[in-house]
Amino acid sequence: MNTTAQAREGKEKKPKKAYFKLFGRSYGKNESIIGSLFVLPALVLGIVFVVAPILVSLSYAFMDANLLRLDEAVWNNFGGFGRLFADSLLWKALGNTAIFVVITVPLQMAVALGLSLLLNIKWLRCGLFFRWAFFCPVMLSLAVTSMLWMNLLDYNNGLINALIVQLGGERQQFLGDPDQALYMIVLISVWQGAGYQMLIFLSGLKNIPREIYEASGLDGANGVQQFWYITLPSIKPTFSFVLITMLIGAFRLITQPMIMTGGGPLDSTLTMSYYIYKQGITYRDVGYSSAIALFYTVIMSAIALSLRKLTGGDNT
Amino acid sequence: MEEATVCPVPENAQPPKAEKPAKDSAAVRRKALRISLKTLFYIMMCVLAVLFLFPVFWMVMNSFKSHEQVYATMDSLATFLPASWNVGEWFASYGNLFTTFDEFGRSILNSVMYCAITIAGVLLINSLAGYALARFVFPGHKTLVTIIILLLIVPVETSIVPQYVILNTLGLTSRDLRVVGYLLPGLVSPFYIFMFRSYFLGIPRELEEAAYIDGCGRFRTYFRVILPCCLPVIATVSIFTFMGQWNEYVFAQLMFSDPTLQPLQVYLQLINNFNPKDISLIMASLTFSTIPIAVVYIFCQRYIIEGVAFSGLK
Repeated sequence: MNTTAQAREGKEKKPKKAYFKLFGRSYGKNESIIGSLFVLPALVLGIVFVVAPILVSLSYAFMDANLLRLDEAVWNNFGGFGRLFADSLLWKALGNTAIFVVITVPLQMAVALGLSLLLNIKWLRCGLFFRWAFFCPVMLSLAVTSMLWMNLLDYNNGLINALIVQLGGERQQFLGDPDQALYMIVLISVWQGAGYQMLIFLSGLKNIPREIYEASGLDGANGVQQFWYITLPSIKPTFSFVLITMLIGAFRLITQPMIMTGGGPLDSTLTMSYYIYKQGITYRDVGYSSAIALFYTVIMSAIALSLRKLTGGDNT
Repeated sequence: MEEATVCPVPENAQPPKAEKPAKDSAAVRRKALRISLKTLFYIMMCVLAVLFLFPVFWMVMNSFKSHEQVYATMDSLATFLPASWNVGEWFASYGNLFTTFDEFGRSILNSVMYCAITIAGVLLINSLAGYALARFVFPGHKTLVTIIILLLIVPVETSIVPQYVILNTLGLTSRDLRVVGYLLPGLVSPFYIFMFRSYFLGIPRELEEAAYIDGCGRFRTYFRVILPCCLPVIATVSIFTFMGQWNEYVFAQLMFSDPTLQPLQVYLQLINNFNPKDISLIMASLTFSTIPIAVVYIFCQRYIIEGVAFSGLK
């Protein structure tokens, strides 16, 4: 490796440079000290706020623990996991999250990819305007998006209901209706997020050389064939990356229901992340919250990792 | 989205028609068809643009009106137009925000302060770690790189709960220290360390070696020679950190129940839930909180795309 070459050079410069051995490898003393010093702040913070929470979560998952009396936490003989299977609210939350993920991810992918393909048309005029128009909602934070749509979807004074009434329709409850609320959150999320992935797809599409299309056109390929055999394979790495990040983001949905519905009505918008939060913070049951988190991490990782394998995005 | 599938390769294969005057009428008909198709296409694009734009546009326009004007115009297209064309009156709601809500200005200051501290800390801590992992061989450096990559791949549900538990144990949720407790967890990020490391790996070693020969110490070399070389990555990390911190909501609402410490995103909720409801104030506050992010997107798009492209390469 390069580093050993550098170390050797340093040795020639300062013949006194000290070395030590650890597990059969030798390290420059100076270099080790400086390197450790540089890493130290990140390491300390990382241990305290990234690694320790994982360990805390792992250990409390097997205990009865209250947020306010953590020193009294006791081993509960897998009681938390037993509770998981009898907890109907948990399955409701898991179902809600599944519905959200299964609709949002493909829909948002399709919208983002479609918009980017539209923007990539060679003869498109005002492309910059359209790009900013589609991208505009991305600039709103999740909190702003949620509060804006709360007002737009209001039963009495919302713009959308005013529009529906103008068109001769009936007022809708939207976020107040257990049958509609989750789907409203789906639509709002797609509206808010699609522009971002559109930009990623667009940068992927711009990297495909035009010549490939021209050559295949001369060979008699039609638009659909070109899309299927040229465009899609070329943006496959982008596609895989966007899919995985979007999936993980969708699994972690919490801000929108937290602000817009508080998980209601009738728990119809309660998601897993929100349920974990509620159990741990609102009900102070850190033990059970950790058990759910562990259970959920296993599900999430299994899906994310297998999808990564499936789409061939494992080039890390 | 059906149209989309055919779109990337429009009429590449079409031969030039101007050279064939013989098939005049056919060519004219084809041209007419093409023009009408294009018109349809642009109409569809405009509909799409309206779908994406109208809520944001409505938010901005209604922040320029008074509460009564918002409701008076709601059932007509005037809802998308300002109530008067006297631009001076437009910003009344924005002024009222500061007088109606005592802590509004304070919450903006809080947001700015939290962002500034986080950006400074994130840059320093993660770039140092990235540099050490790119350049120095020390016990455990390979393990650290592996752990970082693992953290990037596995989506651990390290939700706020265990993090809050740790802060609680450390005493960082107490009244005086909760600002510290709120900011500390956000300072280290495996992703940024990885990003800095990749960038440093691309900087030629000769640069540092020259500095060492000139008698520069490790730290001075780092701050004087290396950091100035990686302004693009510094810009990207700063921008992403800023946007993340400015928009952060969940953790902040957990940590700060006291309005004097709340960042803007959390304080917005107080305005949104305030009784009596004043919709123009709500829209003004939402618009106001979006302006910094919009400015960053408009002026720093290059760095954002670079950052996005990098995370795609990962």
